Amino acid sequence: MHRERLENALFRTGYLAILTFMLLPLAVVVVTSFAESGNLAFPPENYSLVHYRAFFEEMRWLSAFDNSLLVGVGTTITATTLGVTAAFGHEIDDGRAGQVLAPLVLIPLLIPPIILGISMRVYFVRAGFEASYLSIILAHTLWATPLVYFVMRSVFSRFDWQLLDAAKDLGAGPIRSFVYAVLPNVKHGIFVGALLAFIISLQEFVMALFLSSRSTETIPVVAWTEIRQSLDPMVSVVSTFLIIISLIAIVIATIATNLDWLSKQLS
Amino acid sequence: MSGTYSPSALPAPIARLWESLRERSRSKRALLLMAPLLVFELLLFVAPFLILLRISLTEGSQDLRYAPGTWSISGYGEVFSTDVLVNAITYSIMLGLLATAITVVIATFYAYAIWRSEGVVKSALLFSVVLPLLTTLVIKTYAFMPLLSPNGTLNDVLLSLNLISEPIQFVPGTVGVVVGQVYIVLPYAVLAIYSVLATMDWGIVEAARDLGASRPRSVLEVVVPQAMPGIIVATVISFAWSVGAYAAPGLLGDGQNKAQAFALVVEKRLLSNLQWEVATAYAVVMLLLMLVSIVLLTAALNYFGGEFEYA
Amino acid sequence: MSEITLAGLEKRYGDTLAVEDVSVTIDDGELLCLLGPSGSGKSTTLRMLAGLETPTDGEIRIGDEDVTDRPAYERTTATVFQDWALFPHKTVLENVAFGLKMQGIGKSERRKQAREMLERVRMGEYADDDPMNLSGGQKQRVALARSLAVNPDVLLLDEPLSNLDKRLSEDMQIELREIHAELEETFVHVTHDQDEAFTLADRIGIMADGNLVQVGEPNEVYENPKNRFIEGFLGDTNFVAGEVERTTTESIHVETELGREVDLPTTGDADALAEGESVALSLRPEVLSIESTDVAGSDGNAEGEQATPVRTDGSTTNAVVGTVENVLYRGSTIRYSVAVEDTSVFVERTVADSGAFDAGDEIRISWDGADVLAFRDDGSRVDL
Repeated sequence: MHRERLENALFRTGYLAILTFMLLPLAVVVVTSFAESGNLAFPPENYSLVHYRAFFEEMRWLSAFDNSLLVGVGTTITATTLGVTAAFGHEIDDGRAGQVLAPLVLIPLLIPPIILGISMRVYFVRAGFEASYLSIILAHTLWATPLVYFVMRSVFSRFDWQLLDAAKDLGAGPIRSFVYAVLPNVKHGIFVGALLAFIISLQEFVMALFLSSRSTETIPVVAWTEIRQSLDPMVSVVSTFLIIISLIAIVIATIATNLDWLSKQLS
Repeated sequence: MSGTYSPSALPAPIARLWESLRERSRSKRALLLMAPLLVFELLLFVAPFLILLRISLTEGSQDLRYAPGTWSISGYGEVFSTDVLVNAITYSIMLGLLATAITVVIATFYAYAIWRSEGVVKSALLFSVVLPLLTTLVIKTYAFMPLLSPNGTLNDVLLSLNLISEPIQFVPGTVGVVVGQVYIVLPYAVLAIYSVLATMDWGIVEAARDLGASRPRSVLEVVVPQAMPGIIVATVISFAWSVGAYAAPGLLGDGQNKAQAFALVVEKRLLSNLQWEVATAYAVVMLLLMLVSIVLLTAALNYFGGEFEYA
Repeated sequence: MSEITLAGLEKRYGDTLAVEDVSVTIDDGELLCLLGPSGSGKSTTLRMLAGLETPTDGEIRIGDEDVTDRPAYERTTATVFQDWALFPHKTVLENVAFGLKMQGIGKSERRKQAREMLERVRMGEYADDDPMNLSGGQKQRVALARSLAVNPDVLLLDEPLSNLDKRLSEDMQIELREIHAELEETFVHVTHDQDEAFTLADRIGIMADGNLVQVGEPNEVYENPKNRFIEGFLGDTNFVAGEVERTTTESIHVETELGREVDLPTTGDADALAEGESVALSLRPEVLSIESTDVAGSDGNAEGEQATPVRTDGSTTNAVVGTVENVLYRGSTIRYSVAVEDTSVFVERTVADSGAFDAGDEIRISWDGADVLAFRDDGSRVDL
């Protein structure tokens, strides 16, 4: 009995400690963004919104915000298009192409971003469009497509394909039958996939660092260069925005599907 | 497409022909749908790697980043003859092993806790994994600075509890690098293991306990071997990303960490020294070493994972 | 010594009461079947016995020891699970050797013992197979061997046969019976299948709504059900609603929905029922005899409506006439559904019996009043 209780207590302490470890750093970032002083300290002595005010006056941050948005939207569109069509193709295919595609799409995720960053930089310099938005979008697409692809494969594999056959049987063409029979049933999956693609692009840092210039730099890149020079709570303000965006995305995705399913897709 | 004929109404050979035609058009359509992604992967993943490989086999150049069109293995020679580069390989692999070991142990425990919990607790635990996963590395490493620096929160707490007499420099330093790197990869590792555990039948754990296995023992005997596919994925991801760690040593490391982390060393050769043949050769070597390590790690896990033997 | 005592066992999950009150003593070497519909708390009781659930109240003793709060891994019980719960990543032999391994027995010794146990359940040739490739019946044997290998004081079986097809399940019942006889160990077997319970059990414990309602030897439980629930659960029967018309020292007369009075002979305890009290009478198909009204008529026993009970050799015989509504062939038996007044009664005959009836035939149903069981409104049995 005592041993059981002790084990239970240890078990609970263990996972609560990890829970704290997972969330504390993010909480620190949010709290320090409200510091009054210019020094980064946790917990701050006084609270104010000075750094928020300063953020909206800083051109570099605002243009980085625009860059991130542009890259994020671009990545979302390309990754979602590529991922959804390929997953659909894989689903109706019984040949070998799908078996080649799946690992090929997966491998970039298992390679350290630094090596991808190097190969992409070398490649884009040779191709002559280094430091453009396009290069970052394409690099992020390489990173985001696997997620869309695997989310959609999981969605499609649960879809009742007899519906599509039924639609065709009723005289709908391939495109119309996809739009009317398949799309309504998988739109949540597409939405969540697109959302994940956007968040991944927004948060990605190493490849963006290697591929951006001063004019195309995204928020994480600016944050990185700022932190390396000096530590001030301005970075916390930016980080708070990024955390809030992720938070909203998780809430929306959870409403559209559920947290448990979402978590399994992310692995 | 419309108007489906019933093959059964046709003579058998014609029906078979019709069926195979339909199959072929079906797979052709499937191929057409997969083609864009396939082309994309070839152009933006396979091609860049081939070029990387090609550049690693050129001669160095005084005024250019490398000498195009030449063939040489001098890049590789430099990788293995320069102390800095060789040291960085050892350091990065050690960092990778350390971070991976810590990550996989914590992740297995946490994934098990998520699997066993219900309702609000389960949602909270899952949330605590998904939120950091969707947060940029920059923030994840940055957050440890006010926590672990000499005048940071942890030192304040330890000092006020009289556990230490003077501040410990976790950051910048190796402790900070490892903690930061574990924090970066932990969410991925947890989810990889959790998604495997979620398919597992709790009944076999009960069966183990019923047959005399204590709780920790039943986890080792039954849960871990069953979760092995997830643990392997977690190991591969943790190791690959930790060996190539960039943000954690760059931000939380001291001078020594920065001088030895592979990612920072290769960045310097690429962007500052402009020695592309060395940088690319270095990346290729590192990638190969990583592959070999991953194969060895996986084999070891599979070997020990099947049947734990204490007797 | 492994006599097991359960005393006032209770299990609550929040507001729901899974087990309300289970008290029973299980003798050493006995095979007790816990029988009940799903949700009756029989599996929960077994899991508490195994140590997989902790009771919210009550006590469990195995032999002289109080094991109520002892975790499963410290108990001398072993469970065969409903879905067998074989370890998928271990071979058949490793599965069977698992418990011995936990006891710290060396590798070669435990493999030897496991192999012997596999031979005993006739699975020796599958020792090195992956358990996931086995059939249901084979998995069942391996699970049994795995539990028996630890030489438990008590073997607990949680509906282990319910995932097998009927034929296989019946074979396994006989085999379990043999293994039990051979090992002389205590078995507690949970099932929702009456036939299984009657085949296997030394004693049957019937559970309903979290309570152990009656414990007894199979024939005792069957012939003397304690309440209406058990009577209904143990087999198909006709419940006929009625009201006590009058009581005498010899019999109780009940006015029923069959449209006539039914006489119940009583051994003198006429106070068991008050006049005007409503009762439910159970007419089991096996106590009902049927004959064509034509035959009955030609014997001169009956003319038209049976006006009075026919009395022969002193006992009261009751009878009604009805019309066959439909005929159901159920293998070796034929079941007739017979409309009598506003209600309907079913009766059974073996196929071998001569004289099949068709729908629309008029038949006479008769029984011996002593075979009729009566139950009060609250479900309790009337002691006649």
